[in-house]
Amino acid sequence: MPPRPRLLIITPDFPPARGGIQVLSHRLAVGMKGFHTRVITSDASGAAEFDASGDLAVRRVRTDPRLGKGRNIALNAAAFAAALRFRPQLTLSVHIVASPAAALVNRVTGAPTVQYFHAKEIGAKPRLAAFAAQRAQATIAVSSYTSRLIAATGGARGATSLIPPGVDLPAEAEPLPEPRPTLLTIARLEDRYKGHDVLVRALPLIRAAVPDVQWVVIGDGPLRSGLERLSAAHGMEDAVRFLGAADDEERNSWLRRAHALAMPSRLPDGDFAGEGFGIVYLEAGAYGKPVLAGNVAGPLDAVADGESGLLVDPADHLAVAEGATKLLRDRELAQRLGAAGKARAQDFAWPRIGERVEALLLAQLAGSA
Amino acid sequence: MCGIAGCTDDPNGSAVRVMSATQRHRGPDDEGLHTDSRSGVSIGVRRLAILDLPGGHQPLSNEDGTIWVAFNGEIYNYPQLRKQLLARGHRFATNCDTEVLVHLYEEFGDAMVHALEGMFAFALWDERRQRLLLARDRFGEKPLFLHESGGELLFASELTALLEVKPALRELDPAAVDAFFVLGYVPGPGTIVPGVRQLPPGCLLIWEQERRHCEQRSWWAPPREPSGHLHEPFPALVAEAERLFTESVRTRMIADVPVGVFLSGGIDSTLVTSAATQASSQQVKTFTIGYDVGSFDETSQARRVAQGLDTEHHEVVLTEAEVGARAPALLASLDQPLADQALVSLHALSEFARPLVTVALGGEGADELFGGYPRYRWIERAGRLESAAPLAARSLGGLVRHSGRWGSAQRLLERAAPAPLLERHLDWVTSGRRHRRDSLYGPRLAAVGTEHILAGLGERAGPADGPSPGRRLMRLDQVDYLPDDVLVKTDRASMLASLEIRTVYLHRGLAEFAASTDSSLHLGGRGKTLLHAMLPPGMDTPRRLNRFRKAAFRAPTAEWLRGPLGPVLRDQVQNGAIFEQGWFERIPAERLLREHAAAKQDHSDVLWPLLALGLWGDRMLGRNAA
Repeated sequence: MPPRPRLLIITPDFPPARGGIQVLSHRLAVGMKGFHTRVITSDASGAAEFDASGDLAVRRVRTDPRLGKGRNIALNAAAFAAALRFRPQLTLSVHIVASPAAALVNRVTGAPTVQYFHAKEIGAKPRLAAFAAQRAQATIAVSSYTSRLIAATGGARGATSLIPPGVDLPAEAEPLPEPRPTLLTIARLEDRYKGHDVLVRALPLIRAAVPDVQWVVIGDGPLRSGLERLSAAHGMEDAVRFLGAADDEERNSWLRRAHALAMPSRLPDGDFAGEGFGIVYLEAGAYGKPVLAGNVAGPLDAVADGESGLLVDPADHLAVAEGATKLLRDRELAQRLGAAGKARAQDFAWPRIGERVEALLLAQLAGSA
Repeated sequence: MCGIAGCTDDPNGSAVRVMSATQRHRGPDDEGLHTDSRSGVSIGVRRLAILDLPGGHQPLSNEDGTIWVAFNGEIYNYPQLRKQLLARGHRFATNCDTEVLVHLYEEFGDAMVHALEGMFAFALWDERRQRLLLARDRFGEKPLFLHESGGELLFASELTALLEVKPALRELDPAAVDAFFVLGYVPGPGTIVPGVRQLPPGCLLIWEQERRHCEQRSWWAPPREPSGHLHEPFPALVAEAERLFTESVRTRMIADVPVGVFLSGGIDSTLVTSAATQASSQQVKTFTIGYDVGSFDETSQARRVAQGLDTEHHEVVLTEAEVGARAPALLASLDQPLADQALVSLHALSEFARPLVTVALGGEGADELFGGYPRYRWIERAGRLESAAPLAARSLGGLVRHSGRWGSAQRLLERAAPAPLLERHLDWVTSGRRHRRDSLYGPRLAAVGTEHILAGLGERAGPADGPSPGRRLMRLDQVDYLPDDVLVKTDRASMLASLEIRTVYLHRGLAEFAASTDSSLHLGGRGKTLLHAMLPPGMDTPRRLNRFRKAAFRAPTAEWLRGPLGPVLRDQVQNGAIFEQGWFERIPAERLLREHAAAKQDHSDVLWPLLALGLWGDRMLGRNAA
């Protein structure tokens, strides 16, 4: 049996740290069975235990959080040094902050780069995004919205493939009883575009039709205090529960208890980018829950409007209220959307998505050989 | 834009007709009345037509005449609401913004207020449920006065209207008179009259025929500041503020009548003008006011902005002679006394602009929402200094506070000296007027306690649970000074000229956004960091203007009190009701007047409230009445 080709994955985000890119990086690393894979990533608390529990070859770069941008420089330097020893045949850069190392590895070793693009980072670092798109031999966009953002940077040098992030199918997805009609939102509370503020404004109108409604907010971050006070300003304290960063068990339990997931992400103002895809919509689908999302950006790919959820104008609290009220009051609709969401989640499940990424990497390798 | 009135025991509508007649200046174009024969509830409107000029007769009802509404104000998002209500199957008989209210009520019940973006006070009669719903907008832009007695409820846009039908209520509340003297305005929710109160901003009042009982609920209040620091990308915040601001200007320019901008030349009105020129296909009309005395001159700065933005600019000079002719009648005609020095100017500007525009955009609220007043920053900094060197600061403060002298340097030290936050704030905004009570108060005010004003401020400021005293004061101003002074001035000055002022900054989204951002954006640098970043290039105001500026359209009151208003005040002190009837002492007031007239000292901080209260008091109490 010929030796498997060597794949270097560089990512600033990896478990045990929480978040969408962290999960994506991990599932990719685990899923590329046809490769001999090495992961270079940042250190995080609990990383040693996490890495020891699996059989992945993970190299952690110890960085001081106070360094700020310096952390990315350290990650790139360590990635390049590791590449000189590992001699990868292909580099997968999961975030544009790793693109300088990937480009240097390509120049020194000739190993082609496949570059992931999400969304937010393109708006936040447009010059680096343009660099990454220009240097990579191939790019992966997580949604058609993301491909448009890549095109707006000046376009990619190689082909751009549209591969959405995958979803983990739950082992146990049976609904749990919850007496109050419940809307659920899961997102870190650090980006205004996620639309928590609009949901606060919509809540009194939803409550006019669904008097005992509750809104459960999972996620923590710097915006939490402001959102709590906004809820109080609307007299909605008793209808909102901010749970903070819940662990997997609590999170999954709420995905089983809630009646719908609502996250009306909007396009941020200025040149900033919004929701790249919105994996949480698929997760809710996997639990058979209907979703309410904004009719812009990544959710256009993540949610099939009228089939797995409702897409509404995310800046309009009346439209959000109307959509959420429908999902809570119209049981037949909610069940139909939930069931379709569950079926749709199968198509986006990790094994399948991992296979698509692996096929792309192998094709890239074959093309460069 | 209208005056509304209503009474729950008025089966022939006579009381409401009297109240409406009193409020005629608020709505010269039309009058309407609806009486529910079963309950005897009547609601009425005097209307100034801004939208759907012929079709907007009020009170207005739903399709089957079971829900009636009397409305004062503007609903800026009504085109969007109308579209959504049509999509839900509602039928509209007019193009008037008022009609969305009855359909929204059918859809959402009392929660309908959460769908509204605008300035309003309205009364909605639900005939089926025999239930009256009163509501007031988020910031208190439109007034609503209430009188409840024995299960009966009366309400009106202006206090005077209630007194016309309930003359027995015509007496002054000593605590409110005291508060007026100290603050320069009558703090809500009370009024200067013991039997009348206001519906607070962001509140609902429900009266049910069956129970003959009122229940009041808050539906919105300015959000408290977030705890901790927020490090968000500045360009993203500026972009969001710009979007909300542009939306606010765009929606406020929708009218069937000409719209202009009141331009003082400061940053707030410059931004408004800039956004208005972008939102309008026609050349925007701007208006500013200047004076023939004093050192305030905003006209040159306003002219510079107008030229830069290519507006059709109009300037009016308010001469001393005109002040002498118009100010006494204006101050007397208010429904509650108000000592805001910009009232006379704003009224003159409204009258001047009225032949050219029916609606003017104003910059009210920007200072309170975005940290415009320098005292926020000074008090924040003083707080930091005290925590760094507590003992030295306390000793200095003690010396200053107990010296008992009132030089201007002393006053400045007093403002920044260590004292409980609200005391410091109060002395800053009122130039320490509360310390002058003893010498000026007559026997009628002798029994008033000294602590009720601070207690009231403390109650409205809420708990000190945030890290920033400056932010706490900003919020206090949003619930106190803004509705009870700034917006009273804006409403009365414009309505007395039958002009409508639309405040661009008092936009729900903008206010909630401002409240949610980091304190450094409001209290750092020279304040209003976000607004400065939104200005078009080359349009920023000179720093020196910004540092001392307290409010737009300031007025040379000290000069006026030495000039045309001197004799008016002298006559007040000698013959006015508040002096005759023992509210204030004549001799110390005369001394202040003499010192001021001789230009020995500037006592305008004390004399202006006395003039405003005196002129108003003569109308209210009647001269020479015992």
